[in-house]
Amino acid sequence: MPRRWLLHTVLIAASLVMVVPFVWQILTSLKTLSDATSVPPSLLPQGQWANYGRVFELLPFGTQFLNTALMALARTLGQVLFCSMAAYAFARLRFPFKKALFGVILSVLMVPPQLFIIPQYQIMSDLGWLNSLQALIVPGLFSAFGVFLLRQFFLSLPVELEEAARLDGAGPLRIYWSIVLPLARPGLVALAVLTLLWSWNDLFWPLVVNNDPGKMTLSAGLASLQGQFQTDYPVLMAGSLLASLPVIAVFVFLQRQFIQGIAQTGLKG
Amino acid sequence: MTGCSGSNDDKAADPNEKVTLTYGVWDQNQKTAMQELAAAFTRTHPAITVDVQLTPWEGYWTKLKAAVTGGAAPDVFWMNGPNFQLYASNKVIAPNPEQVDSSVYPKALVDLYTFEGKQYGLPKDMDTVGVWYNKKLFDAKKVAYPKDGWTWADFQNAAAGLTDAKAGVYGTAAELTSFQEYQYNTIAQAGGYVISPDGKKSGYDDPKTIQGLKFWTDLLDKKQSPDLKTMTDTVPLQLFESGKIAMYWGGSWDVPEFTQNEYTKDKVDVAPLPKGEKQATIIHGVSNEVGARSKHPRQAWEFVKYLGSKEAAEILGRTGPIPAYDGTQQAWVSKYPGLKLQTFIDEVNYAVPFPVSKNTAAWNEAELTHLTKAWNGQQPVSQASAELAAAMNDLLAKE
Amino acid sequence: MARHKERMTEALWAYAFIAPTALGLGLFYLWPVLQTAYFSFTEWGAFGGHEWSGVDNYVRLASDPELGRALLNTFTYTALGLLSIPLAIVFAALLNRRMRGVGVYRTIFFLPYVTMPVAVAMVWRWLYNGDYGLINYLLSLVGVDGPNWIADPGTALYALVVIGIWSSIGYNMIILLAGMQSIPAEYYEAAALDGAGPVRQFLRITVPLLSPTAFFVSVISVIGSLQLFDLVFVIAGSGASARANPAFPRLQTVVQLFYDRAFVTNDRGYAAAIVMLLLLIIVVLTAVQFRLQRRWVHYA
Repeated sequence: MPRRWLLHTVLIAASLVMVVPFVWQILTSLKTLSDATSVPPSLLPQGQWANYGRVFELLPFGTQFLNTALMALARTLGQVLFCSMAAYAFARLRFPFKKALFGVILSVLMVPPQLFIIPQYQIMSDLGWLNSLQALIVPGLFSAFGVFLLRQFFLSLPVELEEAARLDGAGPLRIYWSIVLPLARPGLVALAVLTLLWSWNDLFWPLVVNNDPGKMTLSAGLASLQGQFQTDYPVLMAGSLLASLPVIAVFVFLQRQFIQGIAQTGLKG
Repeated sequence: MTGCSGSNDDKAADPNEKVTLTYGVWDQNQKTAMQELAAAFTRTHPAITVDVQLTPWEGYWTKLKAAVTGGAAPDVFWMNGPNFQLYASNKVIAPNPEQVDSSVYPKALVDLYTFEGKQYGLPKDMDTVGVWYNKKLFDAKKVAYPKDGWTWADFQNAAAGLTDAKAGVYGTAAELTSFQEYQYNTIAQAGGYVISPDGKKSGYDDPKTIQGLKFWTDLLDKKQSPDLKTMTDTVPLQLFESGKIAMYWGGSWDVPEFTQNEYTKDKVDVAPLPKGEKQATIIHGVSNEVGARSKHPRQAWEFVKYLGSKEAAEILGRTGPIPAYDGTQQAWVSKYPGLKLQTFIDEVNYAVPFPVSKNTAAWNEAELTHLTKAWNGQQPVSQASAELAAAMNDLLAKE
Repeated sequence: MARHKERMTEALWAYAFIAPTALGLGLFYLWPVLQTAYFSFTEWGAFGGHEWSGVDNYVRLASDPELGRALLNTFTYTALGLLSIPLAIVFAALLNRRMRGVGVYRTIFFLPYVTMPVAVAMVWRWLYNGDYGLINYLLSLVGVDGPNWIADPGTALYALVVIGIWSSIGYNMIILLAGMQSIPAEYYEAAALDGAGPVRQFLRITVPLLSPTAFFVSVISVIGSLQLFDLVFVIAGSGASARANPAFPRLQTVVQLFYDRAFVTNDRGYAAAIVMLLLLIIVVLTAVQFRLQRRWVHYA
């Protein structure tokens, strides 16, 4: 029994380290600047809810929330659709240059994303897409990682059902749509959850293509709040809490899927 | 709006052609005033309407650069000192097609927007720098409020008297990042210079310039300013707004900030910058420029002339920053009778221009890279300044 | 004949399925890689336009002190960030059992990973504040006068490493936990019959059998750390004024320098050369890891 106590002591101590930053963030977000910078710190806030109002004054928060949500949803839908289509072809169909094409896709996976950014920015600029929603979305509709992940997943599925359907005369489209996709649901959910998470939190690309606050995502907007002249920490804490809360909420809700998604990509990698 | 340039030439001859000009600005607070100006202009020029396009400061220059590159820049847009020569030397803004009387604007601003002898656009507004001070902290330490004509010694005495290490209060903050509000002023007051008038040589190895920098490093050494690390963690503006700093060097543009902030709104006033070897403040102002590839250069110039007029300045002064047109500043001054805003206007008499060259941004980075070492005490200020001069001279040679 | 036709149809379907991805990846990913490689040999004007400048940018890479420091910082961060893996293994082992509250602990550990990095960096910047931060307040209770963590050249990079470990440990733990759960229970049963205690079982069975997963995690961790940007962007800023932080030379990373050159000073040719170097580093380090794995990774 004492061993069990020891175990919980260690785990609770570690959990505190993980949680205290969040608690301090919430407490600070409810203090005035003078309160937050008093020494020693006042531990309990006085309910300075006005800080949350300040966030909405400094940023078009509602618009940025919408931009972020639309970007994340569009990218997720696009990747789940396009990647599952390609993955199905690579996992099940026979065609010339299959290995070579797959190799090319894998090679994209190996390249650090910063290598794409300058030309992608040029393309957006040439299309007149800087500061637009499509700039946030379009390049993110495609993913080499997604193709790879789903192909591995499809390969692990039994082929019997598909073969039966083929004998019944079903074509590849039917098989993909009504047999493979329903079977592959856990894999699709894993990809969707990861894409949603990464898109919501993405900073570099949104920061570069959209500098008009009305077209920014939350991460870029939040980063722009904190400049050399702005370290109003209570307001920054309120803003950072508001920006990260939606994904945290989704995570708490879909915990199992998140964790399975991560574990799967990890193991199959 | 036709896409064909051939028909454009023909139409340009028609004075009644309906034209829409685009006008690029960056300040949300001034958007209404700009729209008011645009509407007033259309009343006297019925054929021309103006579409005000706001791009906030954070993205203004990136977006403008991309637009200029793609040939889609606004017809008329705001310009600032550090960027001006870059745009003029790359011929993406147009020099004025006719001579106008520029004696109605502060000379330093006219010079700022002159390149290779040609004048570009017309000044819109101006800003100078003053010492914002926290009356409550002065009262607590029984230090007399700053007076007009006070000197470096007076300032240093006040800083010493106001500093209270126990309470975590500093007399002032030797901020490093904003040269316009800090170093450039004391450099000029010490009789030094940042860049030679021909824009070819750095002034950072001049003993008087170094004197102007030492003004700040001395305050740091005496701990009458938070050290650089503290100012990195919490910037001076926030320290001032939480009563940790008694005297904050700031611009006339800080008026909305300090009159709206809960803490400062009933505690602060403003005094002129203290006098060193001489009196000096940096003056800067925005100008309105015509894009070189505007499809309606004639109408755009008409609009710029209107924006530079007395009538336009009076409209601007009611809401926005200090108008540049001589004698129109009263409306701005009387908006906040509780603050001695006349200070900022009086300072124009001895104001010195904002130092710039063709590629100002390049040596602005060098200023910070090198002077950080002096501010942080890693190097004596004379050494950091000499190394900065060498680096800056290299950069100027490449322009 | 019919078979041939069937094969043709299948191939056509396959190409149709692949088409969107192939076009998208081609236009937005493959072509840009080639262009970036080309840009690294060009010099850019202030208002666009670029001209061939040969190997100038690469010569500049070799003599740029900022890049040298950024590389050193990035490598140090990457190396120290690997400490997250042994920590994650220990916590995964502690949680790899049936007991009350396992789910709660797992959620708590994982929370930082799903939190927006920009928000994480802001919170930590505040915790690290020299005068008003929680960390220095707690230290002052035991009589220690803490530094300005992220403005002091002596501590800034390590402060960054702590945030990195804090936010990645949950992710690593989840993958390692999955790896542990795939180790057959019989091994442990056999070891227990031989009288091995939990510590011995951990060292003799868990660690070796987990090594392929640990290897995977370390590869991912190194690649991710080499691309560190978000945290530094918020903590240190960018552009000229970021250089007013005395610790800036110890905070700047390769990708942040890339951002600065590509999108602040618009020196895109040089920026392209910087990321070409980054690509080379990632390829080399990954290859080295694959060679080294032979020494420590046991595939059952």
